[in-house]
Amino acid sequence: MRTVQTGVPVARDARSFRVALVADRYVNPPPDGTDGLAVAADTGWGVLQLPAEDYPASLAGPLLAEVAEQAEEFRRHGYDLVLVGERDGLAEALAQVGLALPDSIVPGSAAELSTFLRARPAPAAIGPSGPVR
Amino acid sequence: MPPPYAWFMGVAFVAHCLLNQNSKVLDGAHCAGVYSPMVDVLRAKGWRIEQMPCPELAFAGLNRFWAVREQYDTAAFRRHCKRLSAAVADVIAVRVNQGEDVVLIGIEGSPSMGVTITSSDPERGGRPEWPDGSPELISGEGIFVEELRAALESRGINYPRVAGETHAIPGHDETVQRARLEAVLADRPDGSAGGA
Repeated sequence: MRTVQTGVPVARDARSFRVALVADRYVNPPPDGTDGLAVAADTGWGVLQLPAEDYPASLAGPLLAEVAEQAEEFRRHGYDLVLVGERDGLAEALAQVGLALPDSIVPGSAAELSTFLRARPAPAAIGPSGPVR
Repeated sequence: MPPPYAWFMGVAFVAHCLLNQNSKVLDGAHCAGVYSPMVDVLRAKGWRIEQMPCPELAFAGLNRFWAVREQYDTAAFRRHCKRLSAAVADVIAVRVNQGEDVVLIGIEGSPSMGVTITSSDPERGGRPEWPDGSPELISGEGIFVEELRAALESRGINYPRVAGETHAIPGHDETVQRARLEAVLADRPDGSAGGA
């Protein structure tokens, strides 16, 4: 194992250091919807699924709190975070862990989402010259 | 009113890392993000996907060491898993009470997410050096899965059928893994077909 600098993640596996918070309607799209999960797989992004829109606050609140805690861990290690779609209560949950809503898109098509994800700058965990190996 | 996702065959509650390999312990990610071999089967068979939280990520962080059950089996981690499993069990209960079929997709060999195989080594601890290999694999459930089972039981919900991702198991074979998943999805309690 190569030690580079304390606290700097070292790419030793296939991870992308890119995580998208994805609204449920893009993970489980209706027949005519945009398949965000397929686009994430195709572009190499990991997915943090947000609770279904029809879940009441009593169900969605605890799930959003866990999403926020996990997003916080990714952010503090320099992973890129984006939001795909919208979810009531997400901004408040992220604020509880000191995070603002990340850059976001409400995609009208898979192509639009793909373009957005592919255009993101390199995550801080990687740096502009690629993964540290 | 029918559930909004009535066109799905059922609901698969999946381990977090199946949709996000970035959550894996370092050296553990098999692909960039979404682990397609399992997800593609669920999609092809028409199952709705619900991602569970990763019990280890928020608790021990991205720079955590590989660990066995005994190292995670602390009062604090149990409390953490009880909190997470309560949130998941509440959603499973809603789905089951709506008459939807539910399966649980875990990670075989995981100290927290194993569904039939977990890892155990009572002696492991201290300076993290031990020989390669997998003598720690044993039959059993991971800690989160145990807590989820208890949370469902306390709500009067039957424990769902389970399948697991098997990369950590010696002799991992993607074809076998897929066949097992398909068999679990097809084994519906009402005897109906489990998907196309």
